[in-house]
Amino acid sequence: MSHKVIYLDYAATTPVDPRVAEKMAGCLTCEGMFANPASAHAPGRAARGAVEQARSQVAALVGAEPGEIIFTSGATESDNLAIKGAMHFYKGKGRHLVTSRIEHKAVLDTCKQLERDGFEVTWLKPDADGLIQPSMVEQALRPDTVLVSIMHVNNEIGTLNDIAAIGRITRERGVLFHVDAAQSAGKLPIDLKTLLVDLMSFSGHKVYGPKGIGALYVRREPRVQLDPLIHGGGHEHGLRSGTLATHQIVGMGAAFDLARQELAQEAPQLRALRERLWQALHVAIPRALLNGHPSQRVCGILNVAFPGIEGESLLFACEALAVSSGSACTSADRQPSFVLRALGRDDQLAGSSIRFSIGRFSTAAEVDAAASIVSEEYHRLLDLAPTG
Amino acid sequence: MPSSATEYSATAWTHFRRPCNAGEFPAGTAGVLSGEAGARQHGRAVAFQLQVTAGGRVADCRYRVYGCPATIALCSLTSEALKGRPLAAATAFSVVALAEQLGLPAAKRSAALTVEDAIRSAAGRYNSSG
Amino acid sequence: MAIYLDHNATTPLDPRVLDAMLPWLQGTHGNPSSVHRPGREARAALDRARMQVAALVSAQPAQVIFTGGGTEADNLALKGVCGSKPQGRVLVSAIEHAAVLGPAEDLARQGWQVQRLPVDADGLLDFNGLQKMLADDVRLVSVMLANNETGVIQDVKAVRECVRRYAVLVHTDAIQAAGKLPVDFVALGADLMSLSAHKLSGPRGVGALIVDRRVDLAPQITGGGQEHGLRGGTENLAGIIGFGKAAELARMELDRRSRHLRGLRDQFEARLKSMPGIRIFAAHAERLPNTVQIGVTGFDGEMAVMELDKRGIAVSSGSACHSGSGQPSHVLLAMGMDAVQARSAVRISFGMDNSAHDVEALLAALAAFTSKRTGALALA
Repeated sequence: MSHKVIYLDYAATTPVDPRVAEKMAGCLTCEGMFANPASAHAPGRAARGAVEQARSQVAALVGAEPGEIIFTSGATESDNLAIKGAMHFYKGKGRHLVTSRIEHKAVLDTCKQLERDGFEVTWLKPDADGLIQPSMVEQALRPDTVLVSIMHVNNEIGTLNDIAAIGRITRERGVLFHVDAAQSAGKLPIDLKTLLVDLMSFSGHKVYGPKGIGALYVRREPRVQLDPLIHGGGHEHGLRSGTLATHQIVGMGAAFDLARQELAQEAPQLRALRERLWQALHVAIPRALLNGHPSQRVCGILNVAFPGIEGESLLFACEALAVSSGSACTSADRQPSFVLRALGRDDQLAGSSIRFSIGRFSTAAEVDAAASIVSEEYHRLLDLAPTG
Repeated sequence: MPSSATEYSATAWTHFRRPCNAGEFPAGTAGVLSGEAGARQHGRAVAFQLQVTAGGRVADCRYRVYGCPATIALCSLTSEALKGRPLAAATAFSVVALAEQLGLPAAKRSAALTVEDAIRSAAGRYNSSG
Repeated sequence: MAIYLDHNATTPLDPRVLDAMLPWLQGTHGNPSSVHRPGREARAALDRARMQVAALVSAQPAQVIFTGGGTEADNLALKGVCGSKPQGRVLVSAIEHAAVLGPAEDLARQGWQVQRLPVDADGLLDFNGLQKMLADDVRLVSVMLANNETGVIQDVKAVRECVRRYAVLVHTDAIQAAGKLPVDFVALGADLMSLSAHKLSGPRGVGALIVDRRVDLAPQITGGGQEHGLRGGTENLAGIIGFGKAAELARMELDRRSRHLRGLRDQFEARLKSMPGIRIFAAHAERLPNTVQIGVTGFDGEMAVMELDKRGIAVSSGSACHSGSGQPSHVLLAMGMDAVQARSAVRISFGMDNSAHDVEALLAALAAFTSKRTGALALA
């Protein structure tokens, strides 16, 4: 087997924290709580208890009530449920929604499908720093606007939108506000008691929990209603049918609980590593450009454009690094990133941008090694290229 | 050694990671023909040099390349393959066939065409000058 | 620890499946959509699981769409098919699981005409009824392969024969059948088939829709383009790998498993004959080897479940999804039972972790509380 890869792709997915894996394994064995939480018998009741504890743990990280958390198969399903669910339920009020061009594909594709189904979508363009300004949202609102969906942290460039300010606008105008928080939960404080957000999507596997589990926050006060996406059985208050995967839910609960305990300590560490990586790259490659706002950003994500070389070659040459050239969900098709293009980067710069994402298990040595690998390969490719 | 992307064969991968004959001939080297193809804004640019003997054979090659791993690997492999061939054979050399032999994905066919164009552009200068 | 006789609700995870999953819950693994090495390793593992699941039902790997569970697979089948066709009629059997009836009701709310296909007293599909309802505007027929409550097995191949002259698609919910019976997607002639991992000793939270690629399907969860664009979202890697392993084990051990389960069921049913006041529903139909649905005279099903629970035995009064609702079983009602009978149902579903000893314990517990009740009635 080959040498170890330096993993700097935590924004695509995180390894399961060993403490989380241990809790999950306990639920998966016969001795543990394997029963169907919907069953009336004693093993079923034990499983239900574990699910409810996890619901409280997820709620606690973001200042929600346990009853406001719906478990789903992942943030993509949460985004689908929030957006389609709200647009269909409130059809009587209007058919317009506002979102941005730099949302995750889960939101973009869902809004495009709604457009095909006869809804109207306003696609906000970010400013040159990659931010969606509250004033842009305000100007896009119409009397028939039902929903605004804006991500908290952008998955490619790590920029942080002011969802507190956007929430004040939407609440005042009587419009629902959905936030995809897949990249922010566990990385920066979220308090849904003070934020005027009505729906918020979470992912398990971006917070050191398992893949295949997510949650949607659905506000109770004032109450938000949704049309379900998956019918049959009436689980999760009828909003999401299907047998609850106890081990997955317990894993997500444990992961969110750890994040709550460790966030204050972990975030500054990640920020320091990110700064260290950027400084090292910037010194070795002065032409390198930071994509996105320099300070209004999440702790772990660094996206850098490398002028003068071709992106796929740089990415492949850095085979000892696991990094992304765009969002992982779009990497396979090798299209220049729509987010970077929306920032005004040309195809060449968008194509030669690399997203480094740092996480809980990253070290200073890994970051230093990553910078020297990128620098070496960059200069090699630059030497290879024709002048001009 | 595993290749970094499943679609590249070991040979292609080695030539991408350690390309042969990269660079350019020193200015004033006798018998050098230069040709270019592609453009950076289209994601691929190749400058190819053929050093031709008085007898009309390719003695050596140099190139500079901006492009994907396939483009780089094809430049390197082609620069090896052309050595010792008569110029006419070099002009007729099919980089597309080479790409197929290497099992490069069909989407990389245009990379092969760019390398071919650069070689033909260089070889074309021989005819026009001589 | 309770004696668990509720395997149709969910099965304990096979330790060998857990072993296959654990490496994917530990250490660093990529997102299967990433092109770097950890991502490609994840992708390769995913493809292996896809082959294993396909092999269980004699399908092609490309026909497997992984979902977040059986319910989602049923929803994708019904709403996915109807979402890509002009509005018309959908026929579903009256005994389907809520995962089929739920999306069918949702289609009805959107203006589709949804009709329920009748079954006879043994729970078998009434083919004359089906024949009469067929017409050119029928887009989809959904008939489950084996019923979760009674265990009755339907002749899905005959459904395909019956609809042959119409441009109608056939969906079958094979969630209870897979792993307990030989299931052949091609031989059955179905266009779509739903599967679930946790009913065959795999993990919960993962299922699959087997679908012929010629079938047009409107995705229900969009974003990211996974599963041929038919189901967006980062794949549940450990879950899917567990599903693959569970499917492989089920395929290799099918004969042994069905012999074991049939043995327990036959032992139980033979002994029941000497117990007055207990009947077996759909006793004469071909059923899953592990499932017995009984009615205890004078007992509400929920009550009987509680009595057994007190004695350390876990069974259910019907579908787990409906427990606690107090509703009579829609399956038994469709078979022509009255509401009292339909409320009396107790479902026993055996698994590979059960033994003859468990059957005896169940019989003893049944005898204990039924005789107590009989005694109380005699005193009154």
